[in-house]
Amino acid sequence: MTLATLLKFNLRYYKKHSLLALLCLMGISLGVGIVIAVELINGSALASFSASIDFLSGKASHSVVSQYGRIDEKEFRSIWKHPMVSAASPIIDVMATTAETGSDSIRFLGIDPFLDPSFRGWTPQESDDTAFTSLLAGPIPSIYMSEELAQKHNLKPGAHLTLLKAGLEKKILLVGIIRASVSGNLSENLAVMDIASAQELFGRIGRLDRIDLVLRGDPETLRKALPDGLTLADANTRKATLNAMLYSFQLNLAAMSLIALFVGVFLIYNFSMFSVLSRREDMSLLLTLGSDTRGLVGAFITESLLLSAAGSLLGVVFGYLVAHFSISMVSSTISQLYYQVNVGGVHLTVPIVLSGVGVGLVATLIGVILPALEVAVTPPVLGIKRQSIEDRVSSLKKWLLALGTLFFIASVLGAWASRFSIFWGFAAAFGMTFAFALMTPASLSIFTHHLGSVLKRVIGSLIGFLAARNIKASLSRTSIAVAALAVALSMTIGVDTMIYSFRGSVASWLDGSLQGDIYISPDTTKWDHPLPDDLMMKLQADPRVASLEKYSTFDIYINDRLAKLRVLESELLKDKARFHFIEGSEDAWNELPKGSAFISESLSFKSGIRAGEKVRIPTPQGAVEFPVVAVTRDYSSDQGTVQIDRNIYKKLWGDDRVQSIALFLKPGVSTDEVKTSIMNDFRGLEKTVVSNSQMRETVLGIFDKTFAPTATLKGVSLLVGLLGVATAMMAILMERSRDIRVLGYLGLTSGELGRMNIYQGLIMGFSAFLIASVSGTVLTYIIVHAINYRSFGWSIDIRLNPWVFVETLSLTIAACFASSLYPTLKLMKIRTAPTLKEE
Amino acid sequence: MTNRAQTDQDSKRKQPKNMPELIRLENVSKCYSSGPTCEVFPLDSVSLELQQGERMILLGKSGSGKSTFLNIVGGVDTPTSGKVFFNSKELTSLSSFDLADYRRKEVGFIFQSFNLFPTLTVGENLTLPLELIGDKDHKKARDLLAAVGLADSWGKFPELLSGGEQQRVAIARALVKNPKLILADEPTGNLDQDTGATILKLIDEVSSMSNASLIMVTHSPDALWIAPKHYRLRSGRLELEPSLN
Repeated sequence: MTLATLLKFNLRYYKKHSLLALLCLMGISLGVGIVIAVELINGSALASFSASIDFLSGKASHSVVSQYGRIDEKEFRSIWKHPMVSAASPIIDVMATTAETGSDSIRFLGIDPFLDPSFRGWTPQESDDTAFTSLLAGPIPSIYMSEELAQKHNLKPGAHLTLLKAGLEKKILLVGIIRASVSGNLSENLAVMDIASAQELFGRIGRLDRIDLVLRGDPETLRKALPDGLTLADANTRKATLNAMLYSFQLNLAAMSLIALFVGVFLIYNFSMFSVLSRREDMSLLLTLGSDTRGLVGAFITESLLLSAAGSLLGVVFGYLVAHFSISMVSSTISQLYYQVNVGGVHLTVPIVLSGVGVGLVATLIGVILPALEVAVTPPVLGIKRQSIEDRVSSLKKWLLALGTLFFIASVLGAWASRFSIFWGFAAAFGMTFAFALMTPASLSIFTHHLGSVLKRVIGSLIGFLAARNIKASLSRTSIAVAALAVALSMTIGVDTMIYSFRGSVASWLDGSLQGDIYISPDTTKWDHPLPDDLMMKLQADPRVASLEKYSTFDIYINDRLAKLRVLESELLKDKARFHFIEGSEDAWNELPKGSAFISESLSFKSGIRAGEKVRIPTPQGAVEFPVVAVTRDYSSDQGTVQIDRNIYKKLWGDDRVQSIALFLKPGVSTDEVKTSIMNDFRGLEKTVVSNSQMRETVLGIFDKTFAPTATLKGVSLLVGLLGVATAMMAILMERSRDIRVLGYLGLTSGELGRMNIYQGLIMGFSAFLIASVSGTVLTYIIVHAINYRSFGWSIDIRLNPWVFVETLSLTIAACFASSLYPTLKLMKIRTAPTLKEE
Repeated sequence: MTNRAQTDQDSKRKQPKNMPELIRLENVSKCYSSGPTCEVFPLDSVSLELQQGERMILLGKSGSGKSTFLNIVGGVDTPTSGKVFFNSKELTSLSSFDLADYRRKEVGFIFQSFNLFPTLTVGENLTLPLELIGDKDHKKARDLLAAVGLADSWGKFPELLSGGEQQRVAIARALVKNPKLILADEPTGNLDQDTGATILKLIDEVSSMSNASLIMVTHSPDALWIAPKHYRLRSGRLELEPSLN
């Protein structure tokens, strides 16, 4: 019998059970879809960033960048004249916004118009007319703007724009347009201006952000000649450095997306096993008619893969839509936490489509292995009872429990081994989830048995008793559905508990760090826009202000890894702040003014530096070794932070720029009154002057936004889990229609039978919730200690939130009720009348 | 010839005297159709009266409507036309809820394939009908299980019992609520001859004990002794088998 004949024969089965097939198809689609969505989002963010670097680099083969945050412009000449350098262009590269372009972030590129054209064909050329003259020597700073951005905001040459710099306004003039024909598909909002204007405008006089180079010989020769603290990087190195920053963020997103697929595998297994068992008679007949086992297995796997391919293709479409609608949210989070990306859109490519189908097929193959074995090894005996399958599962559950215990132990070991590689952390999380899934048949069997007795004896609910025992009767079906739902729920509980704990830890950290009454902290702080000096002077002289704390944060390199240098005023903070010291103590504050440093625990984790050791910090005066007197909890950056005293910074960097301020008011002074007077005196600072509580809300708002994508991932996993419940209940309905009819003969009304079915759905949901409560809590510990800490270097105090459990239970019960409605309606239509003669 | 059963031809044994009428069927027909017109008539104008404690055997070829007959009498199916009375109450006018109540209280079913619930213990299978009528007294169930010779099997699951033992439990389950009517659909069909004989004897004894009426469908000539009246369904018509009576 040919494969085609068998497939044609089997197709009838799918027609008959179209709803079950559809549920399975949806499960595959959702699982694949969410994986593809994350792949598209991650890929688009990186591709956009990579394209941006390539485009902005132009013909530059290398760039000189500083390890301490800035390049003294005096260095430029010697680098330019180095024999290995064929061409050089000094660059100021800074992000800002304008009033006219609203929330669109614009990359302002300050260039030397006479040197830059040999690098970038699209920057203003000397031959350009009056616009070029204006760029160089206009009465107000002038810019060229990318065509797409200008068109979007209907801006034309001659338009005046209001640059928002540290919340203060500066007028600039649009004099030219960078044509789309030369800027290609770049989605970056770009403005180009003369470097001198840029230095002045952005408070970077005398410094450069990088020097782009075209080299004519061995880069090593130049690298050795560079002053201490300056490094030579090619475009790929820069991409790799920034990609490494995103690695953990993207890895966590990808791992969470795999959970939905993981849950989907259970669904595929359940459907495939059902389709095998319910066709056993047909298969036995086909064998007697001359088909062979290999043909049957081949046909079964082929039909499963065809179903999977269809589901995967639908999943790719679903994933594309999810990515399309959420890319802006994720890229905004990346911009907030790591570096600016402007993702124009997501692009579905053939490799991504193929990977989606591949992922779906692999998941399907995993899901159909056991059902295919069932086809292969079951002898061609007609009339094998369904009960025999249940008997087998019943005896198998002990072994599954033992295997689950082994997985549990292995996962604990995996969590411990995460100190060697993050891979083991993820393996531990998946292993632990799987361990509980393996333990589900045994625990479900015991639980439903006793629950049934309790429902009957204590509550007097015979219907509840029957519902609980029905679940036990169909353990081969119900345990898979419950396990799948429990996996989804444990992810919900695990991730929600982690987020709750994390949020709580961040809130405590904020409590300890944010002690000021008022903060002046413009959005542009992250772009290193210094606050104006006159603001500082005025505030220092204000009699209502008791003290004023200045903050600055700069990018530096510690052991060739990007990190943050935070400059703080230790004399003031030691009395005000309450840092959480992981290593060291409050006494450490006295050491900061003497030239010591605090490092964050993420930096300590990533660099291996502990309190009592030294951290080597690049400065304009060469690398300086700072004794580390404390390791503090600090959630401001997962790249790691090193904190030094402002006086030390001033001495070494020769710089006293301030990016944000905390004001401590004298007792009895009204916060609102001071806020209002600052805003009146410094127009443009309205949005940047915030109270302590507003500052706190802003930070927690960013936190919440960061974790917003997890809601989608959890939701999809839960949906797949619930599809599993609906599928199982439909399957049970078909398989146990005989028992249901017997109950009808015994006098149960269709309403009672319907209620029994609803109870069955609810008990399955409740059982899944109970399993997930335990596994989710264990998962929280793995996520926090073996994944989060290993990814970001942040420790978190785990706090169990009863509401997470209450919400999850309520959602599960409501969703299980909803997913059992259709099977219940079908059940209520089952006629008792057909005879119950043959098994 | 009228299709009405000739109830005056009493058998030599187990024929109750002066008992009230329990079941009456008046011109009951059942038709199955895939379109607007009836295509199959498993029952065609069937009339019958059965007294309290009276027994009858129903014979007929496969597909002749025997099970349909039991289902209609048992209140799990409704006739296309005609009336069915139980204790002078018209079943055909009852709602599905009331029919379920009727099955729950008055009818005990015994099936060919036992149909015990595999995840309930023997005791739980047995007490289920009692629980359904709100009777919490399980002593009756234990006594009945002892009566069918399985007192030790109360806590066992059905899978641990032989076919004959399972059928004994099924009989006990049918009788535990003291139904007025027992409907048995080929109760020995899945059993060997010796076990079948034992089961028939058991049905005879326990139904006598409770004075329940019995309608039994069977193909087995060895089972005919259990009831004095033998009817045959032929082309939808119910005919008394004179030769066997």
